[in-house]
Amino acid sequence: MKEIAIDVPVEPPKELESLFLPIPKEYVEEVYRNDEFLILVGPQHPGSGHMRLIVRVKGDVIQEVIPDPGYVHRAIEKIAETRLYVQNIPLVERPAIMDSANLNLGYVRAIEDGMDLEVPERAKYLRTILAELCRIGTHLYDAAILSVFLGHTTGFMYPFGIRELICESLVKMTGARFTSSFIIPGGVRRDVSKEILDWIYSATFAIEKRLRSFERLFIKNPTVVARLKDVGVLSKKEAIEFGVVGPFLRASGVEYDVRKVEPYEAYDKVDWDIVVADDGDSYSRFLVRVNEVAQSLKIIRQCIAEIPGGKVISDQICEGNDIRGEFFEKLAGIVLPAGEFTTLTEAARGSVIYTIVSDGESNVPYRLRVVTPGWLYLRGFMESLKGERLADLQAIYGSFGYFPPEADR
Amino acid sequence: MKVEFKARRLDLLRMHLDVIREAFKQAVAPDRVTVEYPRERKKYPANFRGIIVFDKDKCISCFRCAHICPANAIQMTFYEKAWPGIDYTKCIFCHFCVDSCPTGALRSTKIHDIAFATMGEMKLNAVQMLKAPELTREDSFTVEYVVDSQGWRLEKKAEIDELALEQFIIPEKRRVSVCVDPESCLGCRLCVELCPNDAISVDRKANKLNILPEKCTGCGICVRNCPMKVLELKEVK
Amino acid sequence: MIEVLIDLIRYFLSILKSNQLDIPLIKPIIALIMKIVAQIPIPYLSNLVDFILAVILWRPLFAVVVMPGLTVLMIYLLYIVWFERKLTARIQWRVGPLEVYRPLRGAIQALADGIRYLFQEAIVHKDAHRPYFVQLPILAFIPVLLPIAFIPAGNVVGIKSPYAVQLTIAFISLIPITVIAIGWASNSRFAFIGSVREALMYVAYEIPFIVAAISMIFLYKSGDPYIIVENQWIPGAILNPLAFLVFLIAMLMATSRLPFEIPEADQEIAFGPFVEYSGILFGLVMVLAYEKLYVMALLFTILFLGGWNGIYISLLGDLNAPIWLTIKTIVVISIIAMVRSMYARYRIDQAIRIGFSWLLAFSMVALAIGVVIGYEGGI
Repeated sequence: MKEIAIDVPVEPPKELESLFLPIPKEYVEEVYRNDEFLILVGPQHPGSGHMRLIVRVKGDVIQEVIPDPGYVHRAIEKIAETRLYVQNIPLVERPAIMDSANLNLGYVRAIEDGMDLEVPERAKYLRTILAELCRIGTHLYDAAILSVFLGHTTGFMYPFGIRELICESLVKMTGARFTSSFIIPGGVRRDVSKEILDWIYSATFAIEKRLRSFERLFIKNPTVVARLKDVGVLSKKEAIEFGVVGPFLRASGVEYDVRKVEPYEAYDKVDWDIVVADDGDSYSRFLVRVNEVAQSLKIIRQCIAEIPGGKVISDQICEGNDIRGEFFEKLAGIVLPAGEFTTLTEAARGSVIYTIVSDGESNVPYRLRVVTPGWLYLRGFMESLKGERLADLQAIYGSFGYFPPEADR
Repeated sequence: MKVEFKARRLDLLRMHLDVIREAFKQAVAPDRVTVEYPRERKKYPANFRGIIVFDKDKCISCFRCAHICPANAIQMTFYEKAWPGIDYTKCIFCHFCVDSCPTGALRSTKIHDIAFATMGEMKLNAVQMLKAPELTREDSFTVEYVVDSQGWRLEKKAEIDELALEQFIIPEKRRVSVCVDPESCLGCRLCVELCPNDAISVDRKANKLNILPEKCTGCGICVRNCPMKVLELKEVK
Repeated sequence: MIEVLIDLIRYFLSILKSNQLDIPLIKPIIALIMKIVAQIPIPYLSNLVDFILAVILWRPLFAVVVMPGLTVLMIYLLYIVWFERKLTARIQWRVGPLEVYRPLRGAIQALADGIRYLFQEAIVHKDAHRPYFVQLPILAFIPVLLPIAFIPAGNVVGIKSPYAVQLTIAFISLIPITVIAIGWASNSRFAFIGSVREALMYVAYEIPFIVAAISMIFLYKSGDPYIIVENQWIPGAILNPLAFLVFLIAMLMATSRLPFEIPEADQEIAFGPFVEYSGILFGLVMVLAYEKLYVMALLFTILFLGGWNGIYISLLGDLNAPIWLTIKTIVVISIIAMVRSMYARYRIDQAIRIGFSWLLAFSMVALAIGVVIGYEGGI
């Protein structure tokens, strides 16, 4: 196609200087000299949180995107250094509150790693159920955000309606709709009765039935397919190169899941598949997560069917089976031996890394390192935007389920 | 498991028809899930983590709740004894304090929808926490989620859910502080100074610590502050 | 002097009386009113009431001001805003507007919103072109409301014209120009992008839309609504389903309904051309698309759904035709309102591709069908 250019001298707009953008002045000048311009998307965002994207466009086509994250940085790593080990549990859940159990689990596993705690089987199954419930909740949340980006309001309401069942399951198990702080070093805070587990078992079928409505109206909607198909493609090589994680890596054809590679909790005892897709476009990223919801439901059902009896808290922590009334005595004085303890956990959006550095004396971590999946796949997200149209930015944003509070921590 | 999506033109037409069919189905017989909140209230389970109520008779002023609070929302104030007050601007409802309370003086209610007029009012003291806050109840129905193989539906009952019920009772254990290793005692008398019940005294002649079991409530403040860690809480029958 | 005035009024009255609506149902009511008025001892009162009634029941005025004209349009606006929200909520497992008068399930929500817009401050920002910014929402009503004068409903017609369909299409084609001008007068980035998108969409739907309408004119061999409706003993939708489909989709594009809600995309350009409006001005521009939809649906009903054909109730007399036309139109719009909760938004290039590829192709085939049926003289 022949390019038609009109030579009009363009001055970089003055407002770009006053906005404290993380780009040098020369870059702005170069952009405007090349007949391109910069568009700022954000930091007020129509979707999931605050982040600024500095989009360099030529006409309608994106040339480069520079992210400006950090608007919701809450210094979680620094705050963690001033709190007791157990007090950090509600803190580390905060980056992504709908994914709280997975983030909680990663941190607690790091502590257990350091203290050499043996977790009872029943607690492991309960933790798996919690983690998978949160995974479904997060995937539904991301689907809702994606559909609101595409202007499909029904697609927004349905997942949030279905998520109500997840919240109800969590409130029945833990007493809180999310950020349950239920997983503690050595087990879980209390036992869950059979009636509640049975309720969750039937809820999985109700969720499946409602998801079929969602599938007809949104997932298999021709307009949605048209918006997402062949948009924001990341090839297998690129995805590995840019360090994409989680379902977004699997959508590019890489069969990698921490739950299979280094199984923790009860994942090696239940039967489930890694969901992969080959295309690496926005639609396959979405489809992988949709199918992961089905896998998660399968895991939950197996866990509830096969859950063993026994204690839910380790003998090393508590003699009884109930931490209530003794929470302070048993857990406030945790001191980890000197060393570095790292765990890798598969959260809903990808692998989350926790590293606790302990000096062996104090009852607070010397250093807590949290690397959330959002931060890891930000690079891949930015690369996949190149060469797409500006109107596709929202679709790709939604397909990655990028959640700034999680990435900024 | 590999997921793939390929659609030919005819499939697209079928998908369009699916969308239209589903929308019409929902328009005719909607699977509505709204709880009309002020008029109906969802039934929450007994273990719900809501506004915390305080029982002054059970409190032993052990400071455990204030200590464990991750958000630093609990402040102890001296009335008859030191009692906790919760600042609801900070509280994150993790209920570590409730789980830490050894005597069950703190307990949860199902109340989650209190409105305060000012920020200052959100800081409750122990006296205000003695009973559950008053709610203007507009609801006349209780809604429960029923799930089965048929799907998910809402079941309305014309009853009012009691929100401030006693939910679980902590099995009470009577514990007292004892000195397990008198040889290592420095004689700093920190425990004597700190004891809120004057249960600890020093016998100068015998040069040893005297803990009166009848006065000791088992709060464990001395245990936590002993620099040599020679004090311990022991259960008594 | 007074005699001349009275003569003049008598002359007017005779013109009005010569073209009155014939409604058997309200004849006794009018007689009753006149009887009551005659007993009130105020001079000329009965003449005045007679005159007012004659004005209201004068056919051209009735068509434009009452039915299917402005009064029905206002009621329709209040209804459709509420109905659309309620229907969308129903599909989305919600309840929708409910609290503004609960016994009516929130039916006066749109009225409450309208009153709020009326009393809200209408801000004109510094960069806007003030005169155009303020007057364009009002000017935009001219191309929207003018077609109503030409669209007949049986005997009730404002301006009788054999080219009513063509005229209506011409006026509908004028509407995007006011929207583009609104975006220009707003002088903001979002409004500018929005009006450019509106212009692109205009290019995408206009040709198939006009071709579909022309195919129906060929089919009926006339642009006169009377002939069109008379010929529709089989509805036009069955005679030429392709034109029906093309017209329906063009209608969605023209009124920026959801699969093609591109000029106003909330998530991308924050309501596009109308982003800077507030207060009553926003209220005016917001209902613009709904009014356009009303006019297009009137045309749609006449071309494809048999216009005012319906079961004749002799008690209603001349009122039959407007009532049937209005009912059909509002049913059509109510069904179209459902599309909002079914589809996601297309990208602009996809929408234009749809407009220029198969929508145009279908309209051409529809034109061929129209020519063939019209030439054979099948109807």
